[in-house]
Amino acid sequence: MKSIAVSILCACASLAALAADDPGQRKDLTAVIALQGKPCGEVLSYVAKGDNDFVAACKDGNKYHVYVKDGRVVVEKQ
Amino acid sequence: MSQATSPSPAKDSRAPAPPAKSATPAAPKAPPAAAAAVAAAAPIDLKSLEQKLKDSKAIGVMTKLSLKNQVDDLVAQFRAFHSGRQPPTLLQLRQPYELLLMKVLSLVQDQDPNLAKHLHDSRDYIWGVLADRNKFLANL
Repeated sequence: MKSIAVSILCACASLAALAADDPGQRKDLTAVIALQGKPCGEVLSYVAKGDNDFVAACKDGNKYHVYVKDGRVVVEKQ
Repeated sequence: MSQATSPSPAKDSRAPAPPAKSATPAAPKAPPAAAAAVAAAAPIDLKSLEQKLKDSKAIGVMTKLSLKNQVDDLVAQFRAFHSGRQPPTLLQLRQPYELLLMKVLSLVQDQDPNLAKHLHDSRDYIWGVLADRNKFLANL
């Protein structure tokens, strides 16, 4: 039972890692941050915290929490 | 002299015919060319444009949602303007309109040049719809 739980955890972790390397998602986040007029350059990496909820790390060192709330995309500097 | 200038009735009936004939083929020739030119520059209607943006693979889901937020915000400003609330004036609304259009163009121009062209060709048409109260209310 414990090994099954560990396997599931590993699978989830690797899925998350895969998602964090998706260039399409990075591009999407880069565009969203630029649309809000925030400095970024481009998103180099991101962590998915949930559905449409990310923390993006930019080339210029800025970090942003990008998420959807009440149908609106919110970009908050961290 | 009068005979030379006044041809026989048979000739008379034929005389007007050639100009009419030559005018008839010329008339259809011009409309296809004109129609093609008009079609090439024809602005895209707002509903089609919205659908094309939704369907475009040039931009990601969150970018589309963010753009929709900004379009909705701008439309709300125009709605307020047309309901008599000012500022912003129509002149002041032109700047955010142009800025938003430029943002969309920059997002789609590399991967969806057709959509970018449609957008570019429709720039004045869309402004015309937004700026005119009757057109605005009829379209949005």
